Amino acid sequence: MSVEQADGGSEFEQQARALLEQSAEQLPGAVRSRLTQARYAALAAQPARRLSFARRWVPAGAAVAAALALLVVYVPHMREAAENPNPLVTAGLANAGLEDIELLTDSDAVPLNGDQDMDDDFYEWAADEAAGATAPAVGS
Amino acid sequence: MAAFASLDSETADLIPPGKAHLRDSTQDGARSLETFLASVERKAFRIAQIALRHEADALDVVQDAMMQLSTRYASRPPEEWRPLFYRILENRVRDVQRRRSVRNRVMAYLPWRGEDEEDPVDPIDQAVDKAPAPPAQLESDEAMAALEQAIAGLPARQRQAFLLRNFEGLDVAETAATMKCSQGSVKTHYFRALQALRAKLGEFRT
Repeated sequence: MSVEQADGGSEFEQQARALLEQSAEQLPGAVRSRLTQARYAALAAQPARRLSFARRWVPAGAAVAAALALLVVYVPHMREAAENPNPLVTAGLANAGLEDIELLTDSDAVPLNGDQDMDDDFYEWAADEAAGATAPAVGS
Repeated sequence: MAAFASLDSETADLIPPGKAHLRDSTQDGARSLETFLASVERKAFRIAQIALRHEADALDVVQDAMMQLSTRYASRPPEEWRPLFYRILENRVRDVQRRRSVRNRVMAYLPWRGEDEEDPVDPIDQAVDKAPAPPAQLESDEAMAALEQAIAGLPARQRQAFLLRNFEGLDVAETAATMKCSQGSVKTHYFRALQALRAKLGEFRT
């Protein structure tokens, strides 16, 4: 009876396994029910699966890396621009300031501030001219 | 399956609407864990029952092992669950055996010996079944009882190695991981367990 089998061990081992498996299959209903309840309780207690470390920190890391890259590229450029200003740009800015002052101080410019400087005589004359042009000439 | 359905809905509520793939993976994980627990629960109960010789304690131990695997190790790869589960189970069995040992030592010093705490005898359990059992079943029951008693009498490491290898079907590497010892030790424990069982039982007559 102690003949060694090619797989699964000796006959003794196989018979022991068969007996144990049979006893597991023939458990009383009350025990099976308790095991099922225990299984559901364990599953219900399972914590919600959290995001992995990579999923949590890779987006934040990418944002920080992008901000750092921008700083690395633009800060030296801005510093250089401040230290060596472009003469064309500087002259343009200076000229623009002068032109603005000339526009504001020009007395012949079109009034831009509403009724305050309205030329009443001009509008009255223009109205009369328009009326005279539409009315038939006397004696014509 | 109603409890499982409610579990699905509870875990699904924790996941934002735009993350449906996470919801699916969580549900798949819960289903695979349920499948795993369902596949091991009966054998785990029998292993605990043989070690503890007590049904209620065995049920408690299996429930604790399921709970701990689910709450602490469910995120591990499923191929690691089986050795982890049986290691937890064996730790729980050992805890119960230690508590019993301490209790028995304390009780030995008490004058009244706790006789009142004995479970009352259930007359229905004690009643003799008049129906004749089929001979084959009777022989099988007797063989199982003898085997169970012989396994329970083995040293803990031999019992563990024999049940994990022979009954649960773990390979040597998985058994070594479960028992936290080398593969050579597993082979030694298993061989000695077989020798002891053969010496005690002879060969089965089934």
